[in-house]
Amino acid sequence: MRQQLDTAVRLSLAGQVRNRFAWILLVAFVPVWYLLIGSMIAHHGIGFRLRATGATLAVDGHNLTLITAGLSSITLITGFVVFAAVRRTRAFDRRLVLSGYRPAALIAAKTGGALVQAVAIGAYATIIMLFFWRPAGVWGVAVTFMLAAATYAALGLLLGVLVRGDLEGFFLIIMISLLDTFLENPVDNPLANKPILEFFPSYGSTQFAAAGAFHHQVLASMAAVSLGWTAAFALLGLIVLRLRMPRPASVTAPALTGPEEGVASPSSSAVVSVSPAGRDGVPLG
Amino acid sequence: MTALAARGIRKSFGRRRVLAGLDLEVAAGEMVAVAGENGTGKTTLLRILAGDLRPDAGSVAIRGRPGYCPQTVVLDEALTVDQNVRYFQAAYRIGRTGRAEELIERLGYAGCRDQRAGTLSGGTRQKLSLTLALMHDPPVLLLDEPYQGFDWQTYLAFWEMAGELRGRGTATVVISHLVFEQERFDRICHLRDGRIEEEVVSHAPAA
Repeated sequence: MRQQLDTAVRLSLAGQVRNRFAWILLVAFVPVWYLLIGSMIAHHGIGFRLRATGATLAVDGHNLTLITAGLSSITLITGFVVFAAVRRTRAFDRRLVLSGYRPAALIAAKTGGALVQAVAIGAYATIIMLFFWRPAGVWGVAVTFMLAAATYAALGLLLGVLVRGDLEGFFLIIMISLLDTFLENPVDNPLANKPILEFFPSYGSTQFAAAGAFHHQVLASMAAVSLGWTAAFALLGLIVLRLRMPRPASVTAPALTGPEEGVASPSSSAVVSVSPAGRDGVPLG
Repeated sequence: MTALAARGIRKSFGRRRVLAGLDLEVAAGEMVAVAGENGTGKTTLLRILAGDLRPDAGSVAIRGRPGYCPQTVVLDEALTVDQNVRYFQAAYRIGRTGRAEELIERLGYAGCRDQRAGTLSGGTRQKLSLTLALMHDPPVLLLDEPYQGFDWQTYLAFWEMAGELRGRGTATVVISHLVFEQERFDRICHLRDGRIEEEVVSHAPAA
């Protein structure tokens, strides 16, 4: 299990870093997106309601929009990267499992890889944002970006195992991310302070970011909300992933074989048997 | 010595019955072709034998972990040849990749070991897929159209290796919609109406 886990972690990351389109998105899309959004939104005050405390913060609309622009870009990119990785290796993972790879090792490697990517992409988007705005509570923004990236990594995983076609998955990630991050910002959406937005995936992370960046406040409950979305998406995705993996019978001692007619001596080998009911041993010969 | 026994295999997709109580038994060292027209269920049968698909009824018993080469080449396209081999080394829990290296040499694509699988030609991808199925010296080999895209030299190298494996006692099932060179097989099983309707014993002596 240890050797399989090490190999899966190493090789899945090696495969991931060769996703050139993801690199292009990171290097080009993130700064361009900040630049575009930053140049279009003026520095004017706006009220942002922290639902966790009931307070309404007076914040700079330009800076708040930079946060939601960052959220928009990293949720898109992380969702896409993880979705693409899950789709790319679906058939290969099946073949590995049929060849004796433990599904748990593959699943653990995928989960770990997605988390590493979420943290790296979140940190990167924070660093790029510093070229446009240096918030007092930069740590709050960094944590937010990592939380949101983790949520969309989990969503990418879930869609990767659920949808039939690649195009459907990409479309869903784009639509969900755009709607989600757009609606949370009161500059873009006059209804952003309405209670219904509590039920959107980036609600917790946006609240956490605004409190941290503008008010030096740690809203642990909002981080928990964000982590809850991540856990729910990831759990569903991993359950479906496990259910979709083949269940080859394990190689076991050939209890039903022996020196019967037509049955080989099981000196160096074992019997693998499958049946619709499960893994009942069937005598050979 | 029976290496593979499938009994009463039934499989339907919706209302379409594909396999209807099929029986197949292959002895160690036997080379069997399963032939049939398109859509007769050959690939479905092999997937069931490999454990990739559950039958609606029936059972399969296979000695050891089979080497399975699916019809569609399945590789991690982003990884190199060597990295794909390393993945399967971990899957089979084998310490060394000596056998894989030997197969890569014999199939003539040693120069591509550092190349990403996604950039390989169709024939070389098929060679890698076959290497991944054979590298743990399996007692049972399940091959679905294994020589698609091979050039003549590789085709001959494949049969040379298949002959050696037969000599070592490997039971081999080869799926093919057209079976050329029938004398290379010990038996040819024709799949019709969801069953193995007839078995033609070739004139070639068994190894």
